Amino acid sequence: MDQLPNLGREPEMLKIIGLDSIDELFSDIPSEVRFPGKLPLRNPQSEEEILRDARMLLGANVTSKNKISFLGAGLYRNFVPSLVGQLIGRGEFLTAYTPYQPEVSQGMLQAMWEFQTMISELTGLPISNVSVYDGSTAVAEAITCSVRVHNKKATQKDTVYVSELIPPHRYSVIENYTQGGGINIKKLKHDDNGLIDLDDLSNANGSCAVYVEQPNPIGILDGGITKIKEIIGDSTALIVGVQPTSLGVLEAPGNYGADIVVGEGQPLGVGITGGGPIYGIFACSKKYLRQMPGRIVGKSVDDRDQTAFCLTLSTREQHIRRHRATSNLCTNETLIALMGAMHMSLLGPKGIEKLALRNFAARQLLEEKISEIDGVVIPYSESNHYNEFVIRLPMNAQKALDWLDDNGIIGGIALSNWYSGRENDLLICATDQTTLHEIETFKLKLEELLRGFNDE
Amino acid sequence: MSNVFEFEGIDGMGYSQPDLLIEKSKIKLPSDLVRKELPRLPLLSEPEVVRHYTWLSTRNFGIDTGFYPLGSCTMKHNPRVNEVIAALPGIAELHPLQNESHQQGLLSIMFEMQEMLGICAGMDTVSLQPVAGAQGEFTAIRCIQEYHKSIGETHRNKVIVPDSAHGTNPASAAMCGYEIIEIPSREDGLLDLDALKSVVGDDTAAMMITNPNTLGIFEPEISKAAEIVHSAGGQMYYDGANFNAILGKTTPGLMGFDAVHYNLHKTFSQPHGGGGPGSGPIGVKSHLAPFLPTPLVTRRKRKESDKVVLDDDWWYMLIEPSKSIGKVQQWMGNVGAVVRSWAFYRRYGFQLEKMSEHAVLNANYLRHKIMNPDVNTLDTIPIMPSEGSEAKFCKHEFTISALPLKEQSGITAMDIAKGLLDKGYMAPTVYFPLVVPECLMIEPTETESKKTLDTFATKFHEVLAEDYETLHKAPITTHVGRVNEVQAARNLVLKYEFEDQ
Repeated sequence: MDQLPNLGREPEMLKIIGLDSIDELFSDIPSEVRFPGKLPLRNPQSEEEILRDARMLLGANVTSKNKISFLGAGLYRNFVPSLVGQLIGRGEFLTAYTPYQPEVSQGMLQAMWEFQTMISELTGLPISNVSVYDGSTAVAEAITCSVRVHNKKATQKDTVYVSELIPPHRYSVIENYTQGGGINIKKLKHDDNGLIDLDDLSNANGSCAVYVEQPNPIGILDGGITKIKEIIGDSTALIVGVQPTSLGVLEAPGNYGADIVVGEGQPLGVGITGGGPIYGIFACSKKYLRQMPGRIVGKSVDDRDQTAFCLTLSTREQHIRRHRATSNLCTNETLIALMGAMHMSLLGPKGIEKLALRNFAARQLLEEKISEIDGVVIPYSESNHYNEFVIRLPMNAQKALDWLDDNGIIGGIALSNWYSGRENDLLICATDQTTLHEIETFKLKLEELLRGFNDE
Repeated sequence: MSNVFEFEGIDGMGYSQPDLLIEKSKIKLPSDLVRKELPRLPLLSEPEVVRHYTWLSTRNFGIDTGFYPLGSCTMKHNPRVNEVIAALPGIAELHPLQNESHQQGLLSIMFEMQEMLGICAGMDTVSLQPVAGAQGEFTAIRCIQEYHKSIGETHRNKVIVPDSAHGTNPASAAMCGYEIIEIPSREDGLLDLDALKSVVGDDTAAMMITNPNTLGIFEPEISKAAEIVHSAGGQMYYDGANFNAILGKTTPGLMGFDAVHYNLHKTFSQPHGGGGPGSGPIGVKSHLAPFLPTPLVTRRKRKESDKVVLDDDWWYMLIEPSKSIGKVQQWMGNVGAVVRSWAFYRRYGFQLEKMSEHAVLNANYLRHKIMNPDVNTLDTIPIMPSEGSEAKFCKHEFTISALPLKEQSGITAMDIAKGLLDKGYMAPTVYFPLVVPECLMIEPTETESKKTLDTFATKFHEVLAEDYETLHKAPITTHVGRVNEVQAARNLVLKYEFEDQ
């Protein structure tokens, strides 16, 4: 067992303590709760054997490396520059705990303070924490935070409004996080063009918060979102969910009135990773500072008047405030946020703009090519999009996906998984990693499928 | 001292990108939504980025740097093969919404982990979805809440926690909407059954407790506590933060618990990463299993019509429990951490028991060495700290109280912690649990050698031999001295202020 440096030294150590056997150390466990016999688990393996099994098992997975993928739906194919993977492996970052002792944790503390600044620049809001678990928990925490801030003056107590397009897996997280506080979630309507219905929005007046996404869950960029704050006013929080790379081109939501900006940080810094570990972005204006969740790094000085960083505002947190804490958040996704910071450091202002433009360009080209296919309708083609858009097939979308899968293409997600009455709709995605060849192949295969379908 | 925003590089030099797929002038942008000013991200070339983050790393202390006896955090060595495995494209490039047939390898690993974790804790069903210990607590308490609803016991609105519990316990239960009843520990730090009896009732939803407790002591009357709570109709929740002490020796199931969470970033070596990511799976007894988050991984014998993907006879599937609470993370949890922990488990197999034996041996050995200096050393130490608990044996960690020092010379637990930083160690956890005054909580883990423990004990004694002035100024050998945390909170500077602001 190569992980136990004292294997074989047990008698020597026990003798120093004055014991004869390791069993004595467990004699305080009452016999009625002692585990009978040995753990019924497999034999130990060597590193080589484990690696071989891992390569065999994970090698059997099919990914965007084996098949062309147009699946996005909240996680996006990206390219993480090589040095991110190299630097993140430095043990001083990788194997540290939460920086409770700032004197020996300045590296991570400063990196997180810099991360906070980068997120602040992207979102147009003055405050960011060092990450929450993911995009869904970021929304959920933003909602409970808004209720704490606004409920006293709200005329619709304990009530928030959430875009009806939020997909069920994200909505479920919101429900679990808000039910304990007795928060009512009401749905915000969208019009036939997939845009927020601004007339319906007046219903949200006097509530604690409004949550919308830009781009929205089906990729639409909705100019109406910039008008929401004027309608709902200061006593209702505007929470905007973002795809962070889009902010290389799109207006920072803080500049059109967003009070809290959340999002899946994944496209900046980390691959899709089976959906985790990724990281959630949480940025807000000053009004929410003392009610927000998560770790925050502040800049201060040491006893020699040198610049020094430390965790701050921890009186909000569970280890101090216990059941009155703003959140139970303790372990977060710091290392993944650090990957995001490294990625952003490499990009710079023009780099992130170009990254966003690459995403715009790839999606636009995909739409142009797909729109040439007979029988395919693009329902929201008059709107601008980012990454994703809906296509309507003359056949069941799930069946189309099955055929495409057999033909080497991961063709997106059937919208019937999210919304009722959308049996023929497919949500497809192009990112900066999508190539002309992939788009042309997709088009050819879709044509082949639909030809076969039309011939039937 | 510089920060990343003070480099004077040329914009866009850090990372060259391929050309756009269509000409920039032909891209249709939403004119009403285009930002007027680019975000002021740093201006660095690739070599400068390498230098900056390498420099930062030299100002950070990890397990790789040195001994990290941070109690309750189980800072054990992180095997590097786990990192290699987690970076394989089969996980790094996998999208959780892909077909089951694309994910057979990952699902088989997840299935194996569900089974293993269930066995180790004596639980019937395991969900890998919660991404941190606190989220595991929250998720399991949600399951208990829905269970009580399902049997018409919605009046159960209180969760009991001992005053020695981790702060996440009451915070997680409060997020579910419960009222928290905190019960005082006994003088010796153990669970007070009389105090428990006085608060349980038909409004009790659950009790949350960790065992060994936060003093590192096994609660001898845990079964009686479970009986008391169960007889009132409440559920028993096991905080798995201290699970490293008991594998193969006992299980929460045997102790009478109904639900547990595991910290894969503690017991199963997922690196802590300066604060995360972690992974906090939960295990439950069968009556709570229908409420677990969706999806769970199950398997059936492979049929003729299934694609042959793995070289076993199984087909792995995602299923939704019949009365599932839904989701607590929108995908399948931190599967990357699950894969790392799987690799860790494979290294040990049934010998996980040895891991716990060595964690406990190391803790008792270090406790003995620190509390029993030889005569010559003892002569140099003006005042010895006292034991946090008089218990004969500790489990994976132990506590020491600096109260005697504080009372006689003004030296605090924090002073000792900072003194240890000067000796090249990470400090123990300080001021927790609250039931031990001036507490230092020390957890060596199983991956530290006898020599490391001997040297640490010697250095600890050297710190105890120092006077108030010296210790109060510590640390002096670190990159920065004591950080003014009061000023940080009073004068909030939470981001870089650009010159034109």
